[in-house]
Amino acid sequence: MTDLPTPRDRTRSAVLQGARDSGLVILAYIPFGIALGATLATSGVDPWLVVSSSVLIFAGASQLAGIQLLGAGAGIALVVLTVAVVNARHLLYSASLQPHLAEWPRGLRLLGAFLLADPVYALAAARFERPGGAGSRHEQYGYYFAAGITCLIGWTGLTAAGVFVGSLVPDSVPLGLAVPLTFLLLLLPLVKDSAGAVAAVVGGIAALLASGLPLGLATLVGAAVGLVAGGVVIRASGTPANSNPDPEASDA
Amino acid sequence: MLDAIAILLGGVVTYITRAIFLVSRRVRPPRAVKRYLPLVGPAVLGAIAVPGLLAPGGEISLATTVPAVLAGAAAWGAWRLARRQMVVGLVAGLGVWWASLWLFHTLGWG
Repeated sequence: MTDLPTPRDRTRSAVLQGARDSGLVILAYIPFGIALGATLATSGVDPWLVVSSSVLIFAGASQLAGIQLLGAGAGIALVVLTVAVVNARHLLYSASLQPHLAEWPRGLRLLGAFLLADPVYALAAARFERPGGAGSRHEQYGYYFAAGITCLIGWTGLTAAGVFVGSLVPDSVPLGLAVPLTFLLLLLPLVKDSAGAVAAVVGGIAALLASGLPLGLATLVGAAVGLVAGGVVIRASGTPANSNPDPEASDA
Repeated sequence: MLDAIAILLGGVVTYITRAIFLVSRRVRPPRAVKRYLPLVGPAVLGAIAVPGLLAPGGEISLATTVPAVLAGAAAWGAWRLARRQMVVGLVAGLGVWWASLWLFHTLGWG
């Protein structure tokens, strides 16, 4: 390491890393994306609208729920309410990334918010919370936007493939576990202490127990129970979570 | 047309949920919850991943849950051994899943 990388090299490497991390998630999403597109192609909603929902909403579970309701003749209010409830978890992502993005210019924060889907949040949080931090501002932009845009384009492409040619894909190779495994692998770097582990396990079991709830509420209920359980561990141990990046938090 | 409006509004509400704490530096999560924010990722992603691993077809059964749990354990172990390479974890997880599905099928349990 005699030749130190220039800031430009480091930014380029952050962009490549973001695109690569996100590209892998998209690979793992192939079965889900195609199945979702193929299912929604039979919903009665215009195929191009289904594809555009991947850009506009960019959150698979809510697209599936909302468009199926729309195809079944539900009113706009119910569809929008369903999408809002299924996607309410993004409020937590927004709050969680706020300390990391606080110094970004507002325009980039607002653009970043557009890309804040589950995998993009998980990749960004893991990167921004790692011990050395996320590097310079340009490295942060490079990683975040490369990951976000790769994910947006990949997800939209997969949905389109599912809508237009999904019915041609044989389902002889079982791939259904790829998405839960991907979320497990996105989750692991974010678990840094016992409080995080308790939040993940308790939240997961609570979501499973709540799976009978309507409107996709199970994930929200699970997340809330997990947050409380992890919070109890933090309180019991009497120390803030060690991954908290904000020095101000110590005087809270 | 109504379908297009519904999807557009779905996009707007989703964007609001994503942007709410990023719009202004003044809109911040309350100070009291700040120390709990690092739990958001584990809690939400756990709530997404765990049901898919414990009840892959929507319900818990020996023939589907055991292979999925083995796959999750393999993915975790491989990810750790491979210095946190996600791709290694994913390939190992899917490999173990397929192998155990095949084994269960061969033994007549699946």
